[in-house]
Amino acid sequence: MSSEKNTPITRRHLLRSSGAVVATGVVLAACGGGTHNSVTRIGESPESEPLPNAEVTDVVLLRTAQSVEKMLADMMTDSRITSLVSGETAALVAAFAAAHQRHVAEIAPLVTSRGGEPVNERNQKLMTAYGENVLSLIEEGGNPEDVLAAALGLETLMAATYQYAVSLTVEPALRADMMRLGAQSSRRAAVVAQLINPGTKAFAPGVDENGNATVATLPSAFGPLSTVQISVGPKNEAGTGTTVLMDTPSLNSLLYVL
Amino acid sequence: MEQIQSQSPETPTTSRRQLLASLLAGGALAAAAPVLTSRASAATSDIPKRDSRDNSALNAALQRESQMAATYALAVEATSNEDDKAALLLIHDHHLEYVDTLIGYLATEAEKPSGRAIASPSGSFSSIATQLAALEDETIAIHTNNLAGLIGVNAASLVSSIITMEARHSAALSIVAGASPQAAARV
Repeated sequence: MSSEKNTPITRRHLLRSSGAVVATGVVLAACGGGTHNSVTRIGESPESEPLPNAEVTDVVLLRTAQSVEKMLADMMTDSRITSLVSGETAALVAAFAAAHQRHVAEIAPLVTSRGGEPVNERNQKLMTAYGENVLSLIEEGGNPEDVLAAALGLETLMAATYQYAVSLTVEPALRADMMRLGAQSSRRAAVVAQLINPGTKAFAPGVDENGNATVATLPSAFGPLSTVQISVGPKNEAGTGTTVLMDTPSLNSLLYVL
Repeated sequence: MEQIQSQSPETPTTSRRQLLASLLAGGALAAAAPVLTSRASAATSDIPKRDSRDNSALNAALQRESQMAATYALAVEATSNEDDKAALLLIHDHHLEYVDTLIGYLATEAEKPSGRAIASPSGSFSSIATQLAALEDETIAIHTNNLAGLIGVNAASLVSSIITMEARHSAALSIVAGASPQAAARV
């Protein structure tokens, strides 16, 4: 004999009440936003401030591009890089760094003419995400070839940053200005690729005698927006360094105007 | 084990259908809440994806790319070294991909490109590569100027991805033609 006859909660009750709770919660959540001073509480509790509304605008994209250009300029003049290269490579890296710093200045009037405030600081989010890691690994490895590998990755990243920004930019004329800058980084990437793996044979993707992928000057028909992957730092038993993945700025690394 | 469920007929009941309906309504409300309670967070959401006013500029890009492909075809014929030939053929194929993609984008609005070569590169490979690099630069300038007038963001994204690689074509050709790295990189 069962005593469940007297159980006050049936499955139907449970379903009904849980449905009502969910629906009520949803309605309350949607209706939220007012002040809640009427709730009795003990002690002092700081008022929470709503997060500022962050919009992706043309000015935000320009400021972000400036911060990435500045990051590249800083990285290429960092002593951990400059101490490893000499001669023609050193001159080339220095020229690349100067070009990036020049771009920071060239973007400034585009920002101010749109009512924004230009930046001359590196993108700290990206620096933390991979920039510092790349510099530390290059220092640990002490291999001059890593400087070219990093330069290729960073220039590819810069070109992709502008290309991606085009898809978010509202003003058509500004898209052209961005691509004029992006094309310059793309040129530099091709030159570095040729320094790493020279000749027309290196235009197309290929493999070396060990079956490892070689650096291609023209890796694809269209500009890629995928993650840029570089291998730098001390070599392991297989002869490869540490793989670092670098992404173009995204929503969490844009320089918003708040 | 016997289970007995009692139900008072007087109690207003919620049918499964009603329950599901209310949950669905709640879900829809929850999904809409961010939109209803805050203004759109990205100005970029206002950008038109596609605009028929871009068709003329895109057809001009298509025409240019078909001419570039034809020019590379002549350059391949004028080149003897197998590696050099393969490199030029690779860039030729890139331009053909741009032609195909632009035709695909324009669909019925695509105009038949002439496919006439812009030039007939000749001489040493260095000379051919230099001529082709100059044509790549011209093409980049045409696309970049057109980009400033494109309204739809999809067309703008397509053209910008072409510009990125054509800049690489130009620099790569310059360096194999004998330019210094600084000159090829324009720094």
